[in-house]
Amino acid sequence: MESLKVYILVANRMYNDGVRSALGLAVENHYGYPVILNGEFPSFSEYMKENIAWIMDMEGQVYSCGAPVPEETYDAELEENLMKEIDLKELGEAMREADYIIPYGIPKQSYEPPPACAE
Amino acid sequence: MKILQVYRSAPSEETKTLVEILNRDRDADSFDLNVDAPDYDQLVEKIFAADQTVCWW
Amino acid sequence: MSADPNKLAIFVTSPQHMRHVVGIAEAAKKAGKQPMVFFTYKSIHLTKDPRFEALADLCGKDDIAICADSYTCEGYDSAEDIPAGLSAGQMRTQAFHGALLDECGKYIAL
Repeated sequence: MESLKVYILVANRMYNDGVRSALGLAVENHYGYPVILNGEFPSFSEYMKENIAWIMDMEGQVYSCGAPVPEETYDAELEENLMKEIDLKELGEAMREADYIIPYGIPKQSYEPPPACAE
Repeated sequence: MKILQVYRSAPSEETKTLVEILNRDRDADSFDLNVDAPDYDQLVEKIFAADQTVCWW
Repeated sequence: MSADPNKLAIFVTSPQHMRHVVGIAEAAKKAGKQPMVFFTYKSIHLTKDPRFEALADLCGKDDIAICADSYTCEGYDSAEDIPAGLSAGQMRTQAFHGALLDECGKYIAL
């Protein structure tokens, strides 16, 4: 079975499940590239960090586009950040090689979330 | 390579930039789902005519 | 398995577009194509839409499924509250998304 390159674009903070979705495809021997846009990062639970590391192990990569990579995903053992930064134009060029491009969930919301949204 | 860009809402500037790069030197088509009554028959026709479909938020 | 050129994958990740899911699936059938649909994450709330059961019937049991983990994460009971039109065997994992990629010649995410 051919391994496919799949980009999953996350524009909304509530849809970081796109990382798990990419991992699901990595387990199926595809290359998963979740891209978190504009700093809409998940909370970096151990579960999330493990998923990000696992995608990397499976030759995929989690990217941040439009915001610096967060410190929480720095891996002291590997001495590198598990997430990599990519700018918009680089992302566009990289996605020209994609087999599938999946804008995941819903768009970014206009307003910052109120404190009631806190975990 | 024939690529189809589908929009569920009005595309952001970022989306437009990505689409421009993806469409470069390709046979590109588009379809707007963000209308009252999309012609789904036409959309299916376009999907099956394209090599790749990207459906933006 | 090589992808079937007459099969259309519909990967649903947004909870906002049931009319498009139904519209595209029905149009595909009308055009003699087979839709294969997977609902994941917050889109699983669409299983509570009154149009869902008819969609499940349209696709047939092998060609529509939802992510059981997502359904559980959103608070539903994946054993006692299986959505109308589905059976326990259609409460699946992300591997079903892999099957969409393997089996379908065409693909759209909604």
